[in-house]
Amino acid sequence: MAEHAARADHTAATGTALLRLERVSKRYGANRPAVLHRVDLEVLPGEYLAIMGESGVGKSTLLNLLAGLDRPDSGRVLLDGIDLSTIGDDETTLLRRRAIGFVFQAFHVLPYLTVRQNVALPLELLGIAQSARRARTDAVLEALGVGELAQRFPRELSGGEIQRVAIARALAHRPRVLLADEPTGNLDPRSAVQTLALLRMQVKQDAGAGVLITHSRAAAETADRILILDAHGLKAEERA
Amino acid sequence: MRGPSAAAPAFAAALAFCAGHALPAAGARYAPDTAYAAVMPGAVPTFPADYGSHDRFRTEWWYVTGWLKTASGKPLGFQITFFRTRPSIWRENPSAFSPRQLIIAHAALGDPTRGRLWRDQRIARAGFGLAQADAGDTRVWIGDWKLARANDGAYHAQVAGAHFSLHLTFYPTQPPMLNGASGFSRKGPDPEAASYYYSIPHLRVGGEVVRSGRRDAVSGEAWLDHEWSSAYLDRGAIGWDWIGINLDDGGAVMAFRIRGANGTVRWAGASLRDSGGALETFAPSEVAFTPLRQWKSPRTAISYPIEWRVRVGARRLTLRPLMDDQENDARRSSGAIYWEGAVRASEHGKPVGRGYLELTGYGAPMRLR
Amino acid sequence: MGARRARGGALGVWRVLLVSQIREQPARPIISVLAIAIGVALASAIFLVNGAALAQFTRAARRLVGESDVVVRGSRDGFSESLFPLLARNPDVAVASPVLEIDAALPGRPLPLKVLGMDPLRADQMQPALIAGVGAGILDLMRPDGIYLSAAAAAQLGAGRGDALAVIVGDAPKHLVVLGIIPADVYSQPLGIMDIASAQWFFDRIGRLNRIDLRLVDGRDPDAFRARLQRTLPAGIFAIAPRAERDRAATATRAYRVNLNMLALVALWTGAFLVFSTQSLSVLRRRNSLALLRALGVTRAQLERALTAEGALWGAVGGALGLGVGALIAALMLRLFTSDLGNDQLRIVGASLAAQPLALCAFFAMGVLVSAFGAWLPARAAARIAPARALKGGGGAAAVQSTAGPWLGVILCLAGVGIAWLPPVAHLPIFGYISVAALLFGAVLLVPPLTVRLLRAAPHSGRVVLDTAIAQLRDNVALSTLSLASIIVSFSLMVAMAIMVYSFRVSFENWLTRLLPADIELRVPIGSGTSYWSPEDQAKIAAVAGVERVEFRRTRQIDLAGARMPVTLIARDLTRAQAATILPLVRTVHGAAPPNARPAWISEAVADIYGYRPGGTLMLPLAGWAHRFYVAGVWRDYARSGGAIVIERADYLAATGDSTATEGAIWLAPGQDGAAVVAAVHKCFARPDSLEIRTSTAVRRHSLRIFDRAFTVTYAIEAISVLIGLAGVGFAASSTALARRAEFGMLRHIGMLRGQVIRLLAHEGVVLSTLGVLYGMTLGVVLSLVLVYVINRESFHWSIDLAIPFWQLSVLGAILVAAAAGTAVWSGRSAVSQDALRALREDW
Repeated sequence: MAEHAARADHTAATGTALLRLERVSKRYGANRPAVLHRVDLEVLPGEYLAIMGESGVGKSTLLNLLAGLDRPDSGRVLLDGIDLSTIGDDETTLLRRRAIGFVFQAFHVLPYLTVRQNVALPLELLGIAQSARRARTDAVLEALGVGELAQRFPRELSGGEIQRVAIARALAHRPRVLLADEPTGNLDPRSAVQTLALLRMQVKQDAGAGVLITHSRAAAETADRILILDAHGLKAEERA
Repeated sequence: MRGPSAAAPAFAAALAFCAGHALPAAGARYAPDTAYAAVMPGAVPTFPADYGSHDRFRTEWWYVTGWLKTASGKPLGFQITFFRTRPSIWRENPSAFSPRQLIIAHAALGDPTRGRLWRDQRIARAGFGLAQADAGDTRVWIGDWKLARANDGAYHAQVAGAHFSLHLTFYPTQPPMLNGASGFSRKGPDPEAASYYYSIPHLRVGGEVVRSGRRDAVSGEAWLDHEWSSAYLDRGAIGWDWIGINLDDGGAVMAFRIRGANGTVRWAGASLRDSGGALETFAPSEVAFTPLRQWKSPRTAISYPIEWRVRVGARRLTLRPLMDDQENDARRSSGAIYWEGAVRASEHGKPVGRGYLELTGYGAPMRLR
Repeated sequence: MGARRARGGALGVWRVLLVSQIREQPARPIISVLAIAIGVALASAIFLVNGAALAQFTRAARRLVGESDVVVRGSRDGFSESLFPLLARNPDVAVASPVLEIDAALPGRPLPLKVLGMDPLRADQMQPALIAGVGAGILDLMRPDGIYLSAAAAAQLGAGRGDALAVIVGDAPKHLVVLGIIPADVYSQPLGIMDIASAQWFFDRIGRLNRIDLRLVDGRDPDAFRARLQRTLPAGIFAIAPRAERDRAATATRAYRVNLNMLALVALWTGAFLVFSTQSLSVLRRRNSLALLRALGVTRAQLERALTAEGALWGAVGGALGLGVGALIAALMLRLFTSDLGNDQLRIVGASLAAQPLALCAFFAMGVLVSAFGAWLPARAAARIAPARALKGGGGAAAVQSTAGPWLGVILCLAGVGIAWLPPVAHLPIFGYISVAALLFGAVLLVPPLTVRLLRAAPHSGRVVLDTAIAQLRDNVALSTLSLASIIVSFSLMVAMAIMVYSFRVSFENWLTRLLPADIELRVPIGSGTSYWSPEDQAKIAAVAGVERVEFRRTRQIDLAGARMPVTLIARDLTRAQAATILPLVRTVHGAAPPNARPAWISEAVADIYGYRPGGTLMLPLAGWAHRFYVAGVWRDYARSGGAIVIERADYLAATGDSTATEGAIWLAPGQDGAAVVAAVHKCFARPDSLEIRTSTAVRRHSLRIFDRAFTVTYAIEAISVLIGLAGVGFAASSTALARRAEFGMLRHIGMLRGQVIRLLAHEGVVLSTLGVLYGMTLGVVLSLVLVYVINRESFHWSIDLAIPFWQLSVLGAILVAAAAGTAVWSGRSAVSQDALRALREDW
C-alpha cells in the first residue's frame, strides 16, 4: 500500500530515477520496532520533493539511507542507478561527493575556514583546478546573494547568511540531488522564506533534483510534491 | 672476697681467654699467653713490695670500704675499689694499645639520711700513663681516679663520679692482717682456688666528700683489702657473702662464704684479730652465715638477705644495714647486680662494730661465662 | 545566612558539574588523575628513596659519631698516636677515644670494608649504642685477629660467627675471625669493629691513629675548644664539630640527590601541564552547559570556584594514588636494587622507608595545587565568557586563550638567560634550576604567538586535506597550544638531558683516553687503604719481560678541610713540561713559576671547593707537616668527586720518605703480548688478588659501563616525562577528535572519504608535533647549555664539553612526530566510525 502511494503518478515522465529506494527496511536494535518498513521512493531528475513527518518517524534515517551514509537492513538503495549495497564505503563516498549536496538545519560550515573556502571545499575534494574553483565559488555565492561575504568567517555572519553559504556549498559542485534536512529550522521566518525560495530556485535552475525534509507544512509546500512519512510508511499527500 | 662481683668484666675476659674460644684458631702465628703466676701456700706477703701490683697474676684488687661522718654527725658509707686484671692476650702485639692489663674502678657513697646511693665506675686498658697499676707500692689509677700509698704509709684516694666525689686519706693505725694461712687464702675445695689476701682494718679517714655539689669535711674509719690471684673462683660457685667489720674495741673480723647451687655452701673462711693484735683464722666449719631479714629491690625485684647472724668461732655477730637500698647495678659494664653496703654489727644486743657486707649471686647466678 | 546560601549554591553547582562531567566523559577525570598520580608517584618515590638513603647515612653517621663533642680527624693515613695521651690529659677533655678507621681491601670484592679499630672501653662512653651492639663480647675483641661484623657486612660477605674473613694487607692476604655479628638495628651499614691494638697490628699501622673522639668536661664550649685545639694540631689534622662529621657523606651526595629531586619535580610539572590541558579541553567541551548554568543564575565566581574545586578533587585523588604508588615504587627499589640510584656513594643497604609525613603531605598538596591551578586558568576564562555568546556556540577558543601576553614570555626567557650567570648557593646550582624553570615557562608562554605566526606564514599548498588541517590549527591556536605545551616541556627537557649526558659521555671518553695512555693499568685492590707495593715489588714488576716502561703512582687520601670529603693525592712521575701532555689540563699558569716551587696540579673540584687558583700557593699536609706547593694548573677529573691533586713523585718522596706505590701503568715493548705480560706480572705476587691488572681497553670499557649505569635512572625519569607529554598530546588529540565529531560528520556528508578525514587528523598531528619537536629541540638546546655549563659544573665540579647528538635527537624527534600522528589517527578512527557518525547525526 505504501509503495503504491509513493509511486503516485510521476513515474513515467522522466525515465530513470536519480535516487531510488526499493522495499527498504531499517531498525536500530533487535528489540525495537522498525523505523522504516519496506519503503519505496523514487526521485526523478528535475523533481523537488518534500518529505514531512513528525519527530521520530525516521526522516533522518531516510535521508541517511538516501545519501548512502547508512545501509538498509533489507531492500536496495540506488543512486544514479548504482546499487549502494554492492559497492564499498569509499565508492559510496565518491559517488556522494559528485552527486549529492547537503543542507543542514545547523548549517555546519567549518568555523575555521572562510566563506569562500567553505564553499570551495566540495570542489577541492573533486579536484577541480584552482581557477575554475574560484570562478564557480564566486558565482554560486553571488547567485545566493552573499558574494560580498566571501572573505569573512562564519562566526561573523547571521544565521540566514550562514545558511545561504551552506546552500552555496551544497550547490557548488552542481550535484544531481540536493538533500536539505530542516534547512529553515534555525532561521527566523523572513530568512526561512528567502532560504526556501533560494533552494527551490537553485534546484530548478541546475535541473537537478531536490529532497526537502521538514515538518513545516509551509516549507513543504514550496516543493513540487509532498510525501508524508509516518509509522505506516511513506505516502503521497493529496495536494489541496 | 668481694672482688669478683664488681670485677666481673675482668673475670669475663679472663675466663673467656682461659677457657679458649669455640672459634677456630687463627693459625700458629698467634697464641694467647696463658702463663699466669700461681698462688702457692707458704709464700708470705712482704711489705712494702706486696703493697704494689702483681702483674703476672691474673687478677688483683685494692678495696676500701668504711664509715664516714660529716661535721653534723650524719653517717655515710663508702667504697672505693681498684681492680687490675691481666687478659690472656697475644703479648707479641707491639701496639701501645695492646691491653696487657685492664684497670677497673668502682666507687659508691651511701647516705642513709637522704636514702641515696651515689655510684660510678671506670674501666680502661693500662697504657700511655692514662691508666696503670704500679708494682712496688700501692699506686693505681684510671685518669683522675686514683689510689696511692705515700711514703708515710697513708693512702690517698680520689674519685670524681657523677654527682659525687671522694677525696679521702686513710691513715693506718694497725699493721696488715694476713688472712688465711699467713696471707694464703683458700676459696674452694680445689686447693688451686686460692689468693694472696691481706686486710688493713681500722684505717683512720680524713678528707671531704662532695654530694650533688655540696662539699663536706668528713672523718671516719675504713677497711682495706688487697688480694691477688690467678685462679680462685670455684667453678661451682653461684655467689658469695662477705663481711669486714671494724670492732669498736680495736679488733677486726673478716668472714666469707662461697655458695653453690641449691643453697649449698662450697667454702667459707674467716679471720679475727682481737684488740691486742692476736690473729685467729677459721676453717669452713667454724664459720656460719644465717639470714634474718630479706629486702626486695624495687628496681630489679631481687631479694637480698640484708640482716644476718654470722658465727665466727665463738663470736655471734648480728648485722644490720645502714640503709636497706645499697644495691649496685653494674649490668652495663660487668653484667652483675649485687648488694654492697655499710652495716652495723651487734653482739648480745649491744653494738660492737661497723663494717661492710657484700652479697652476690642473688639475682641470677654469677655468670662468669 | 546569605553567605551560607551562596556556599550551598556553589556546592550545588559543583555537584552538577561533577556529575555531568563524570557521566559525559568518565575517561577525562581518569586521565587528569593519572597525570597527577604519575607526577606525584615519581616525585615521592625518588624523594622517599633519597630520604631513606640519607636517613640511613645520617643514622649510621650519628651512630659512628656518637656522643662526642669534637672529632679530631686526620686523613686515611692518619697521625701519630702520641696525640692521643695529649688530648686525653687535656683538662677540658672528659673522655678521649682513639679510632683507627681502615678501608680494608677484600679479595675479589669491588668495595672495601670499613673497619673501625676502637678501644671499646673508651668507645663505650662515646658510641654506647654501637658498642652495646657488640654486647658482652667487647673483651673478646682483644683477640688480635678478631672482628665483629655488622649484620649488613656479614650478609654482604656471607660470613657468620666463627668464619674466617680474608683481608688484603700490603700485598698479602691475612685472615680475621668473625667473633660475632652486630644486629642490624644497631648499625645498618656494612662495618667491621676491631680492637684498636689488634687493628694497628693486623693492618700494619702500629703507632697510627686517624681519628680521636673527644667528649668535653661539662660546661666547656665545644666550638671555642675546637678553635683553640685546631691551632695546636699538626697540618692535615682537623678538629671537627660532630655535625660536620655526620654530614660528610650526606654533603658528598647532596648535589646528586638534589638533581634527582629536581628531575622528579620536572615530571610533576609535566603532569601539571597535562592537567591544565585536560581541564581546558573539558571546560571547552562543556562550554554550553556552563553557559547554561550562568544563564540560570550561577555567578561567575561560583562557576570559577566549582571548576577549580573539581580540578582540586582530581588532584587529591591523583595525589593520594600517587603517594601510594610512589611508596610502592620506593619500597620495590629499596628491596630490589639496594637502591644506590646509580651512585656508589649513595649505596645503602637494608634501608627502610621511614614515613616522612611532612614531605609526603607537601607532595600531595603540590598535586592538589597543581591540578587546581591547571583547572583554575581555564575556569577563569570560561567564567568570563558572556553566557549568550557561549550558548550560541562561540567563545570556545577564548575559553583557553592564554591570558599572559607574549611579553611575559620574552621577559621570562631573558630573565632565565640572565639568572644562569648567578653564582651557586651553598654549593648548589639553585639559580641554574631557576633559570631552567624561567626559560621553560617563558618559552611555553611564547608558544601561542609563535605558532600563530608560523601557521599564518604557512603557504597554501592546494592540497585540500593539508590546507584544511592547517586552517583548523590556525583557528584553534589556543587548543593547539595546549597540546604543544606538554610536548614542548617534556621533549625540551629530554633533549637538554640527552645533550648533557651525551656531552658528558664524549668528554668522559676523551678523558679516559687521555688518562690511560699505557697498554696495561694496574692498581692495588680498589678503595683499599691497606695495600700497596714496596719498592721491591715495583722493581719486580719493572723487570717483567715484555715491559718496555712502567710508571708508578702513589695515591693517598689527605684532608684539606676537616668537614669535607678527603682529597686524593696522586704522586706520579711527571715533570712540569710533561704535565700539559699527560694531564687533561683545563687551565694552566702563564708565565714563569716561582723558583724552587714544587708544582701541584689540582682538579677542578679542588679549585671549586677550596678556592685555589692557578699560580697560587697550596699547603699540602704530608707526614704531619704542611708543605708549600705551587698550583701549576687545573685539570679535569671525572673519577674523584672529592677532588684530586697531582704532585711529582720525587717531591712526595722527599716530603714523606714513602717509596711505596699503589697504581702503575705499563707500556709494552713492541710486539709483546699483553696477556702474557699480565700473567707474568701476576706471578710477581704471592696471590692473584694482591693487585688488579687490566688492559687499558678493559678499563675504558668498564668505566663506560659504570657511566651508563649511573645515568639509567636519569634516562628512565626523562622517558617517563616524555610519556606523560605524549599522553597529553594523545589525549588532546582524542578529545578534540571527539569534540569535532560533528565536523567530521559534515565532511563525510559532503563527500570526504573516511581515510581523508583520518589523514586530516594525521596532518594536524604531524604539523603540531613537528612544531612541538622543533620548538622543543631549540628550547632543549638552550636548556642544555644551562645544564652543561651551570648545573653540571656547579653540582659536580667538573667541566664537560658540549656535544650535540644530532642523530639521536633526530630519531627521537621523528619517533615523537610519528607517535603524535599515530595517536591522532587512532583517535580519528573512533571519531569517524559508522556508529559515531550516527550518534552525531542524532545529536543534531
